[in-house]
Amino acid sequence: MSVGAIAVAPGRVGAPRHLGIAGLILAVVAWVITLPPMLVRTAVPSAIIGVLAMLAGAIAFVGDERRLGSGAIGLGLLAIAGATGNTNSSVAHLKVVFTWSILVAAMLRYATPLLLAALGGIISERSGVINIGLEGMMLMGAFFGIWGADVLHSWVLGCLVAIASGALLALVHAWFSIHLRANQVVSGTGINFLALGITGYFFIADYGSNGTPSGISQVPGVKLPLIQHVGFFGGAIGNANLLTWIALLLVPALTVFLFRTRWGLRLRAVGEKPRAADTVGLPVLRTRYFAVVASGMLAALGGAYLSDAFVGSFNQNMTEGRGFIALAAVIFGKWRPVGALIAVLLFGFASALGDRLPTFSQSAATLFQALPYVLTLIAVAGVVGRSRAPASVGIPYVKE
Amino acid sequence: MADSTRPALEPRASTRPALELRGITKKFGSVVANDRVDFDVYPGEVHALLGENGAGKSTLVSVLYGLYTPNEGEIVVDGRPVEIDSPATAIRLGIGMVHQHFMLVPVMTVAENLVLGHEPTRSGGLLDLKAARARVREISERYGLAVDPDATIEDVTVGTQQRVEILRALYRGARILVLDEPTAVLTAQEVQELMDVLQRLKQDGTGIVFISHKLGEVLQVADRITVLRHGRKIDTVRREGATEQSLARLVVGREVLLTVEKSQAHAAEPMLVVEHLHVRDDRDLEAVDDVSLSVRAGEIVAIAGVDGNGQQELVEAITGLRAPAEGRIVVDGHDITRKGVSAATDAAVAHIPEDRHRRGLVLPFTLAENLALREFRRPELSARGWLRTGRIRSRATALLREYDVRGGGPDAYASSLSGGNQQKVAIAREIASDPKLLVAHQPTRGLDVGAIEFVHRRLIEERDRGRAILLVSLEYEEVRSLADRILVIYEGRIMGEFAPDASEEELGMAMTGRQAAAAG
Repeated sequence: MSVGAIAVAPGRVGAPRHLGIAGLILAVVAWVITLPPMLVRTAVPSAIIGVLAMLAGAIAFVGDERRLGSGAIGLGLLAIAGATGNTNSSVAHLKVVFTWSILVAAMLRYATPLLLAALGGIISERSGVINIGLEGMMLMGAFFGIWGADVLHSWVLGCLVAIASGALLALVHAWFSIHLRANQVVSGTGINFLALGITGYFFIADYGSNGTPSGISQVPGVKLPLIQHVGFFGGAIGNANLLTWIALLLVPALTVFLFRTRWGLRLRAVGEKPRAADTVGLPVLRTRYFAVVASGMLAALGGAYLSDAFVGSFNQNMTEGRGFIALAAVIFGKWRPVGALIAVLLFGFASALGDRLPTFSQSAATLFQALPYVLTLIAVAGVVGRSRAPASVGIPYVKE
Repeated sequence: MADSTRPALEPRASTRPALELRGITKKFGSVVANDRVDFDVYPGEVHALLGENGAGKSTLVSVLYGLYTPNEGEIVVDGRPVEIDSPATAIRLGIGMVHQHFMLVPVMTVAENLVLGHEPTRSGGLLDLKAARARVREISERYGLAVDPDATIEDVTVGTQQRVEILRALYRGARILVLDEPTAVLTAQEVQELMDVLQRLKQDGTGIVFISHKLGEVLQVADRITVLRHGRKIDTVRREGATEQSLARLVVGREVLLTVEKSQAHAAEPMLVVEHLHVRDDRDLEAVDDVSLSVRAGEIVAIAGVDGNGQQELVEAITGLRAPAEGRIVVDGHDITRKGVSAATDAAVAHIPEDRHRRGLVLPFTLAENLALREFRRPELSARGWLRTGRIRSRATALLREYDVRGGGPDAYASSLSGGNQQKVAIAREIASDPKLLVAHQPTRGLDVGAIEFVHRRLIEERDRGRAILLVSLEYEEVRSLADRILVIYEGRIMGEFAPDASEEELGMAMTGRQAAAAG
């Protein structure tokens, strides 16, 4: 099943759906042609393509692909508006903002911690445990990652310490939600506050008001010898962080694990219908423990990236809700690794763009920071539609 | 020794039981669910476990499948005493289980469900789904159980899901197959197919434990029948010589009237008149096609037919749950067409729904609350927006006594009752509203003989009090013993009207549409 079954209504893989997707692509094209390097300076071609996109969307809509169709129509409108805006602004500004290689590199940087946490969230939720505590587990990783690297003088050990701290916190969540059968949302929320307290305390105790020192061993970038100096690719991925590559590689790895191995099949069965798994002799509770702990490890690694690779220092509550964005990415991605990847890339791109847009208007800088959230909201509501969670997520399992 | 090879074609009367339960006692607190029960099954034999709901059948099976640990007693498999502490152990010992509520993962395919927990893998732990599919085909061909390995469970019929459960047990090497109320959810056609499958398994040397409370099918399928009552084994009898009457006596512990006595109906003025009704189902297909009928006060009119021929939609239209596309529904002179449930309620229509869990009761509510659900707006039960909980309770207490509901008082949760008692609560609430028209949709579904008797008697009594009763049922016997007139429905059309003494052949013909459409 797996890949072929992604979100396709049974027996309805046909023209309307393809038209809807074509509409979405056309809309993006309409916008992109007014940007560097193409830089079309009149909005007319964009308008034509945008109208085509909307037309395709409309046909898809009529053909019962309502969400995709309306998504294409909406995106077409946005693209025409955006393209008009682009043609009215100066080429210099456009070139500063839309330096694609830099945008892509920034997108990956923003996406990495989210991706790691989201993959963790997928594992946990696929096993039937909601992990609101991703945020707290990331924060633990963020602090203990850089603390470990500082004290042990090694980013490798730092990452391991981070993973251990995330696992430990996840174990608390697992104990509450699996063993004590507490409400998983409440438990997860408690975990977040607990992490805030723990990291805040040790941060002040160890580093006081000076913050983490400079010169801590950091997770290095991976210099790709062949393409490091090749134009776009060199800038975009020629020197991406090691953890970024690990996160990206984890996407296919987790996909294979979930949908192509016996362990994945069992994990999903536990999340869908634990009683069924139990009656064929599978250890439901143990599986869930494993999944929650694994999710804590991944989230913490994402946190470690944040402090020990992205920023290079720790400050209190530095995750700032990224765990929740990761959770949104899990849902946006329909509990599939590739889906989550698309979600975090979209979010990362919007963040990267939001960083550079103040070129146009300094005063609107704060407004631009809302862009990722707005885009995510539109994408979730407009295009993705309702997604189906694992049937038993959030429900503690009671053995007969 | 015996667990390595599967006896291919062993003669039926094997000398040693494949499975023996000796003196099993299982207590829950002070409640004794099983009291020194002995049970055994031989290879190539069907041994039925018969008893009312709550007699201890499910407990015994849970002990057998490793879900409960017995307080006393011994389990012997192939002559060796064993300890079954988990389903995994049971599976290893060759015990397969077909659960009443299927233990399948709805979003996964047939093949994935079949191999779950016992997956064929290639190197590195990768699932070998090709091998899984091949195994499905192999076993399904061997036993004549056709299934598509790539179909998703939630898309296939209940009958097919049950096949998958059986296949899974066989895939895991089951030599003893336990079926817990296997026919409860099946259509008549599917029941027949299941019986055929069991015959083939029997010939292949599988020992089958068949749990049921339906006397007829037990007599049809079983070689021996063990009856449980109140947790005790009452008797084990051979099928030869047993009758429905003799079994019912063992099950209930007293003489049971399998057919209700009823006097001539005194039908008065028409209470329900349905004219040229057309109703569409959830998929927007025509489910009820130009149905006209009437039910008079003081008579029972039965709608007979195979499940899924528009009964559901017809009942929903009459009770206001579904707006009909065309036609008219008049109750006691009031047109309630397309006016919703409250109009139907105001016109004194009561509804005993088919699914008491989904529609009849609110399971997490207490019995008192459930009994007040329909009439809590009346001044006796609420005033100025406040519920009069004292009166609600005392009214509930009276109703529970009147309807002989056992298993809990007014403060017990509906979910804690057995199916029969739940149904009594649903019926009590509906009849207590003093309806003019009572729509009873499969009122005895899933009930045991004792409870069925109660419901049947009650319906006749209500008829004699002058209520109009529309009974929708899939059971021949029920329809023929209760109804004053029988309307057969097929593909949403009324095929004709029959007297209660119509032969099974006549009714059967009409129910399968093999009759000129003599629209009613």
